[in-house]
Amino acid sequence: MAHLGPGKAASSKEQAGLRYPSNGKTIYHRPLNRTKTAELSQSSFAYLFSEMVTYAQRRVTGIQELEKRLNLQGHPIGLKLLDLLLTREPPRSQTRPLTIIALLHFIKINLWTHLFGRQADRLEKSSDPDAPDEYMIVDNEPLVNAYISVPREMSQLNCAAFVAGIIEGVCDGAMFPARVTAHSVGGKEEGEMWPGKTVFLVKFQPEVLEREALIGKG
Amino acid sequence: MASSKASRLGEEVWKTRMDKVNAELVVLTYGTIVAQLCKDFDSDYVEVNKQLDKMGYNIGLRLIEDYLAKSNTVRRCSNFRETAEMIAKVGFKIFLNITPTITNWTSDGKQFSLVFDENPFADFVELPDDGRAQDELWYSNILCGVLRGALEMVQMQVEAHFVSDVLRGNDTTEMRVSLIRYIDDELPPEDD
Amino acid sequence: MSYHFAIIGTQDNPLFEYEFGTSKQGGDGQARFSEQAHHLNQFVLHSSLDIVEEVQWTNGQLYLKVIDKFFTNYISCFITAGNVKFLLLHQPTATATAPGGGGSSTTTRSSTSVGANPTSPQTEEAIKNFFAEVYDNYVKAVMSPFYRVNMEIRSPVFRQRVAAAGRKYL
Repeated sequence: MAHLGPGKAASSKEQAGLRYPSNGKTIYHRPLNRTKTAELSQSSFAYLFSEMVTYAQRRVTGIQELEKRLNLQGHPIGLKLLDLLLTREPPRSQTRPLTIIALLHFIKINLWTHLFGRQADRLEKSSDPDAPDEYMIVDNEPLVNAYISVPREMSQLNCAAFVAGIIEGVCDGAMFPARVTAHSVGGKEEGEMWPGKTVFLVKFQPEVLEREALIGKG
Repeated sequence: MASSKASRLGEEVWKTRMDKVNAELVVLTYGTIVAQLCKDFDSDYVEVNKQLDKMGYNIGLRLIEDYLAKSNTVRRCSNFRETAEMIAKVGFKIFLNITPTITNWTSDGKQFSLVFDENPFADFVELPDDGRAQDELWYSNILCGVLRGALEMVQMQVEAHFVSDVLRGNDTTEMRVSLIRYIDDELPPEDD
Repeated sequence: MSYHFAIIGTQDNPLFEYEFGTSKQGGDGQARFSEQAHHLNQFVLHSSLDIVEEVQWTNGQLYLKVIDKFFTNYISCFITAGNVKFLLLHQPTATATAPGGGGSSTTTRSSTSVGANPTSPQTEEAIKNFFAEVYDNYVKAVMSPFYRVNMEIRSPVFRQRVAAAGRKYL
């Protein structure tokens, strides 16, 4: 707020440009929980999602860039859901995640249950002593991959990059800046139980671990 | 098919044959698609409308098969009025769980409106306050493309566009659908 | 009783500001800050951000109650899940000049009125309710696909909603 000069108060820039229907209804009149449990067809999601991928594909040159783009499209959704889902918690458990574990639980339980109707399958900390900043969220059967048939030449593409972006949005919003990537780890053999199994690798920025260490001491 | 019969079919298919997902996942995904288009095309909303229509068209081409299979439709609609019934009460119902109202038919029976009392895509949405979006952007334009693509696959060339949208400050959200022609002219549906 | 409410983004950038006065005990809802106080308030609110940073990682509650005091100004704070801060500066009437305040001058001094005692449970509860109602509306603003993080909230409807929450609870 230091750069806010006296004449530059946020209030002075208010615009009254939007028109509203004569019943006066705006986004502010719609109860936040109205669609909390509403459902739409899974196909509607699958169609939209594959159009999003197709469109993104036309604007990038490689798989990495494509995944980056899908990640970017998921990111704002994570930021929004962080606030929305927290407001929907009962008052007693309405707390901001203060530790990595609390944050990851919020993602594994609240976020996943809301978006996909069930919790993520597993949460793991990297066993690599050189990577104390890495955590893994495992989904045996990501919904986003269920309907997307990836062209052969793009077999490395994991559309769950979109979900990775949503996770990254939640982390960034909660001030646990991280880089989140999606990796297919399902076996390709016949009879494999979870061919679409995906690991979301969450790599936190150094300052997150530093803060965590400080809080631990306090 | 009679109107009430179409309603019952739509209800039945939605309840028993459609896999469901959380509505907000769909709504937020659509939102991020539109927002990204606005960014990519530098808020050239006319272009964004076109892109949305194009995406919808691609969806429509594929969705029709799903629709026919789920609704067990084996027979062509006997006329455009019946087509309208099936779109509103079966098509919209089974994919988006809404039933827009059919209204404003022209006397030749070739044009009607769909009025959306509910539009899940518009949940949470407020258009940018930039003095242009409310005049130029048709936020749900993807739906026009879906109708165009899906009907083309069953030999109907139609034109669809929104004429009003509550997001623009209108009192209703209304899509106008016009039959241009039956593509398979040798077999007019009335002779089926 | 006068209030200065601000929503501060994650880069310490202001997203929204609103000044108002109490509507309780016959108050007319007008802020009674002096011209200098207006700028001072912004400064005071900004300074309190340092304290917010100290508290926010030890207390996971959204509502952090009064976190700072500057002479007769009390700062209450609420942090959203996305780490946006709602700050409310409240200044009990006793030290503010209230010209034309009519009957309010006697009643606002009463110890039972909201705000007269900035740290009383009643005041804490009233401010909590105010913040909660603003948060509800804030989330509605943020949910729009066209809202990006740290964008100013310029909707007049949002402003009306904040004003209504102020009238209702404060």
